[in-house]
Amino acid sequence: MGSYCLRRILATLPTLLVVVTVCYLMLHATPGGPFDDERKVSAVVLANLQAKYHLDQPMWKQYLYYLNNLLHGDLGASFRYADWSVNELVAKALPVSAAIGGGAIVLSLLIGVLLGSVAALRQNSAVDYLVMLMGNLGHAVPSFVIGPVLILVFAVWLRLLPAGGWDDFAPRYIVLPMALLVFINVATIGRVMRGSLIEVLHSNFIRTARAKGLPTRIIVLRHAMKPALLPVVSLIGPLAISSITSAVVTETVFSLPGLGKLIVNGAANRDYTLVLGLVVLVTVIAVGFNLLVDLAYAALDPKIRY
Amino acid sequence: MKMLSNSLALLLVMASGGLAMAANVPAGVKLHETQELVRNNGSEPETLDPAIASGVPANNVIRDLFEGLTAIDSAGRVVPGVAESWKQTDPQTWVFKLRKNAKWSNGDGVSADDFVYGMRRLVDPATASKYAATYGVFLHNAKDILEGKKPPVALGVKAVDAYTLEIKTPFPTGFLPDVVSNLQLGPVHKATIDKHGKDWTKPGNLVGNGAFTLKDWQVNSKIVVAKSTNYWDAKNVQLSKLTYLAVEDGNADVKLYESGENDWVYQLPPGTYEKYKQQYPKEIRNTTMLGLRYYSLQNADPVLKDIRVRKALSMVIDRDLLAQRVTADGQVPAYGVIVNGVSGANPTRYEWAGWPMDRRVAEAKKLLADAGLAPGSKLKFAYNTSEYHKKMAIFAASEWKTKLGINLELEAMEFKVLIKKRDDRDFQMARNGWVADYDDATTFLTLVQCDSDQNSQGNCNRKAEALIDEGNKSLDPAKRRTLLTQAAQMIMDDYPMIPLLQYTVPRLVKSYVGGYSSTNALDRYRAKDLYVIKH
Repeated sequence: MGSYCLRRILATLPTLLVVVTVCYLMLHATPGGPFDDERKVSAVVLANLQAKYHLDQPMWKQYLYYLNNLLHGDLGASFRYADWSVNELVAKALPVSAAIGGGAIVLSLLIGVLLGSVAALRQNSAVDYLVMLMGNLGHAVPSFVIGPVLILVFAVWLRLLPAGGWDDFAPRYIVLPMALLVFINVATIGRVMRGSLIEVLHSNFIRTARAKGLPTRIIVLRHAMKPALLPVVSLIGPLAISSITSAVVTETVFSLPGLGKLIVNGAANRDYTLVLGLVVLVTVIAVGFNLLVDLAYAALDPKIRY
Repeated sequence: MKMLSNSLALLLVMASGGLAMAANVPAGVKLHETQELVRNNGSEPETLDPAIASGVPANNVIRDLFEGLTAIDSAGRVVPGVAESWKQTDPQTWVFKLRKNAKWSNGDGVSADDFVYGMRRLVDPATASKYAATYGVFLHNAKDILEGKKPPVALGVKAVDAYTLEIKTPFPTGFLPDVVSNLQLGPVHKATIDKHGKDWTKPGNLVGNGAFTLKDWQVNSKIVVAKSTNYWDAKNVQLSKLTYLAVEDGNADVKLYESGENDWVYQLPPGTYEKYKQQYPKEIRNTTMLGLRYYSLQNADPVLKDIRVRKALSMVIDRDLLAQRVTADGQVPAYGVIVNGVSGANPTRYEWAGWPMDRRVAEAKKLLADAGLAPGSKLKFAYNTSEYHKKMAIFAASEWKTKLGINLELEAMEFKVLIKKRDDRDFQMARNGWVADYDDATTFLTLVQCDSDQNSQGNCNRKAEALIDEGNKSLDPAKRRTLLTQAAQMIMDDYPMIPLLQYTVPRLVKSYVGGYSSTNALDRYRAKDLYVIKH
């Protein structure tokens, strides 16, 4: 398995190169540059700015220059946030996203699996309908509606929690955004878990187990749970990535200094280095999670061997 | 003996400080025990380096961390900063006398050399400041330095002695004391920049000479500044701490305000002004700004090169209706490039602005018929995606459609794409806007002048240009005003663009925030001038 992991990690490098190159070309092909603003800078000032950021060099030189820096772990200087390097910006935003996004995934896995299982075991009961209703709500109502409602109730009316902002991982600032993400994720995980467990409970080996007279508790926990978890595990990768790339809504609603805002602002500002840096980060995270998910498959399903 | 006289002087300064304090906080106003405020700054500042700063949020914070020769107070007036007094000694020379007790936050004294260094650094090509040309235009030799033809030491700024600064301008500039309130032209601490390089603006490193020091900076979240003990006028600074938020979303901003975590909304979301005016009558503020919303017309376009078409398009837009019903946030109709309240020229106005709309429409139809533009013709309008701009554009489209039969194709695009199109003059009509850098008509005239970078229309009136040159050379303010006004009228009579509205800043500010004013047309506030009233 060790050599499998190593091969997977090595295979990431060409992927990363392709992603960086395509992204680099796309960014530079987008109309408008980092220094275009409502107030146009004079030609000579523009020339000075471009010289400072090496934009006066031919594209292939800039590209090699960037790759060289990347190999040394330097993501370059940000165009928009002149006082910060991309490394510094990512280092500040990543923990915020990781705390909220990561925490939300763990919590929603626990709650989602639990609710989904209960719904599956009590199929077509009141509990099942309630869980399904919640699931549908989480799907149907967009986060930019749920978020402000949470703020209105808990921050403006009850004044229990802050309406937004961030203060060094203080829990009061984490509760509402995490609750929002958990609500949305639970909707997905709960539904998948319910469907999956129902399917497994109707399969032949479970019927055999029942015929052998095993108690339901043992059947569910020892035999049904593992295979039923497989589709849920597949969800973790996409959820982790979307907790960065689609975090912009949560981050906007709750004024959080996370990665989502950096990505969207970076693209809008034509902050080439910042966007490329974040794309590299997201690629690494995506590849990493896919590997973890594959390893989890092997642990859950005896048919899978690496 | 010397020591005695020093302490006497100190006592005197302290006594006068006491008097000044009485002036800052009106008599009878009781101050709150804790003097801390939270103010939303609209977005994350791009830098805290005064030379590199270009946006409003960066300038807001920098105004607290640094102090220039002069400053703008809450009422929008030019007041002494590090300079105690100033004089125009000849048409192209200004001399500023600096106060001797001005200090950097690390205790070093502020001298004329710090200003010389700051200004040279601004125009040094290596600094690559976006504002180098904007403010450099007022400094002798700056243009050549920017182009690399002369070294930065050639700049026409000289420390006559430690507390006397002489500035040479390339042409008579009566409003220079206003211009030098901008911190791009302020002092920076050379030793700090030499020591920390690019990291000199980080908390712990930054040394400023303003009333506040940098305590904390969390990117995209907040910047915290605290009262500086070394500031020369510290006894008149009431606030102990000010937090700048970087909230971009207007709705999130208001929610923070309503939940008590923000005392100062940056700007209300579009379309909410009337609602919040009803809801918070004591906290709603709306100051008219030195800023103009307008539509650029591509003057070289085959259809729009005909002045009759441009005139007809401008005539039929009902600015009153636009201001009252469409944007509905207290903005003022505009009929010229010079806005109300700006110094150096009078706002111009078209004669037809006073006509009834029927007459305007009839005249516009005639103009279009003469120009050969038949009803049913199509024009294209480019704007950057935003609810606000869209609302205005739909209104304009409906005015032109119903009154002139012209169809407008609306092209929404990303901000950077619009800017690129405007710069390349690759548009027919485009949304545009401008907010003054300093209080003088010339900042607005750059929008319509012949060789200006800010002219998106491509219009040019050489006769008006000559008048502006003549006005700028004149030492008589009244004559200059007449000439610049004439020039503005002359240019506007060419109909290069469609002026629409003068900006306002509708926002909510808690009633306990003292020092806010309704006359600050540049919307520049120093934390030094603010205080918290007992509540």
